[in-house]
Amino acid sequence: MAAIEVSALEREFKGGVRAVDGIDLEVQAGEVYGFLGPNGAGKTTTVRMLVTLLRPTAGSARVAGFDVATEPAQVRRRIGVALQEAALDPLMTGRELIQLQATLHGIAPRSVADRGDELIGRVGLSRAAERRVGTYSGGMRRRLDLAMALIHRPEVLFLDEPTTGLDPTSRLTLWEEVRRLRDEGTTVFLTTQYLEEADQLADRLGIIAAGKLVAGGTPAALKAEVGRPHLDLVLADGADLAAAREVVASFGDRRPASDGCHLSIALEHGAAEIAPVLRALDDAGFAVAELELKQPTLDDVFLEKTGEHLEGGDEPEPEPAGGPAVLG
Amino acid sequence: MTHELRMVGALMRRGLNEILRVPGGAVPGVLAPTIFMLGLSAVFGRAAQLPGFDATDFRTFIVPVGMLQGAGFTGAATGVNLARDIEQGWFDRMLLAPAPRPVLLAGVVGSACLRSLLPATFLLAVAFALGVDWPGLLELALAAVLVMGLAAAMACWGVVIALRFRTQQAAPLMQMGSFVAVLFTTAYAPRELLSDWLRAIADVNPVTHVLEGVRQGFVGDVTWADTWPALVSVTGLVVVLGALAVRGMRRQGY
Repeated sequence: MAAIEVSALEREFKGGVRAVDGIDLEVQAGEVYGFLGPNGAGKTTTVRMLVTLLRPTAGSARVAGFDVATEPAQVRRRIGVALQEAALDPLMTGRELIQLQATLHGIAPRSVADRGDELIGRVGLSRAAERRVGTYSGGMRRRLDLAMALIHRPEVLFLDEPTTGLDPTSRLTLWEEVRRLRDEGTTVFLTTQYLEEADQLADRLGIIAAGKLVAGGTPAALKAEVGRPHLDLVLADGADLAAAREVVASFGDRRPASDGCHLSIALEHGAAEIAPVLRALDDAGFAVAELELKQPTLDDVFLEKTGEHLEGGDEPEPEPAGGPAVLG
Repeated sequence: MTHELRMVGALMRRGLNEILRVPGGAVPGVLAPTIFMLGLSAVFGRAAQLPGFDATDFRTFIVPVGMLQGAGFTGAATGVNLARDIEQGWFDRMLLAPAPRPVLLAGVVGSACLRSLLPATFLLAVAFALGVDWPGLLELALAAVLVMGLAAAMACWGVVIALRFRTQQAAPLMQMGSFVAVLFTTAYAPRELLSDWLRAIADVNPVTHVLEGVRQGFVGDVTWADTWPALVSVTGLVVVLGALAVRGMRRQGY
């Protein structure tokens, strides 16, 4: 059974900006669905429509079996939401916030304390529960936000970039919690701009760019679509990159180099071609300083689908003097 | 219904929390009506000797105005706090709760009603210490009801503005609502002494009736003739501005 069904969903803002442009997707009950894309791709706008905070301008969506446009109250009863900014009242303590959230979700008074204690313990905030939230670290605020989203045992949990800005330890803690929720049968819709996070957590992925869903499937299937491994080479100082590109051109397809100062080539026949490539460069007088054979990543998938890298995509690619670092 | 009442209570507690945990933040709103009363009395004190004032002194005449100003400040503060909640994302959390929108509004406005008693109490304490006539307990209770009612109406106004502009920068507009509403009444002089144009506006301004309802007991006796227009006016203000606020709430998300 599908926990989330989205059909031709659109959201256009004033001025004609179409943040979400005809998205179709389906998330099965009990799976973690990763919604991957760079800043401004339309992830948060999509989530805000699915959680009933923003009206779609076209298309339809059903969450937990209910239409977000015509049955929003039913949807709200069945979802938990942790938005991008953990919006917490800094003057209240963690326990007070949990209790307020429980009351707003109609949990009976006799159950509030027990449920609150259970969740506070689960997210590791027992010792900080009586402290005001204004004294919490970013990771603690995220964990409290997650606990509040879980107070009413939602069928579907929306996590909008839950680890953005967190330190590695806090990030791992949240990942563990997401895995535990999946094991318990909760459907999780997770937006992220981190490739590793999507790779680690998502059963299936949707990749969004410029408001459109450009790819979907399991991480393994998406990477398999891209196919071949690629060889990254760093030449010794002073090498003529343009000439080196000519040398290796016959071994595979051109790929944009991620930093513009090395050669990168998708090999036609995998690792078996490393030695021939090195021999060809050696014969042409190029010294190789470093080399690495890389398996396809989600960044490769993103690159394949959009022509751009996801990570570091906000920064313009530097171009070396000899032209763009693209093998051809 | 029990669930809804508990939700309203929980949101009211949150609203009151700020006064308890950051009392300094409430000081300007609590002090302002009293300072206003003291300042105006010092400048215009002798005006009470003019025919028509019917008050033993100007302070007695002006105290009810200060009480309504306190209600106005509290209402505006409610709007500013909501705008802050919108900016910081807390309001989204409220909207994501499966609570009916009027319940969310009732929690926010209910908190304003209770908070409005703080500046009024401080003002009255100072006023009585300075010799303002004691109006009687029932009269004070009626005044408190009207003050809370006006605070609710002004809180609804603040909510309407906050939902429309979604920024704390709209605070002057929230404050202007109560300022204008109280200014164009019989706040500073009896009806007979107002110029024609101001008298015409004051006659149709519902806040005039609320003010006269609070003022009775301080100046003269409480009469049903002054009480029912005050109650009808404040109820009307709450209903109309409350309806606008609920409409604004329902336009957020779904």
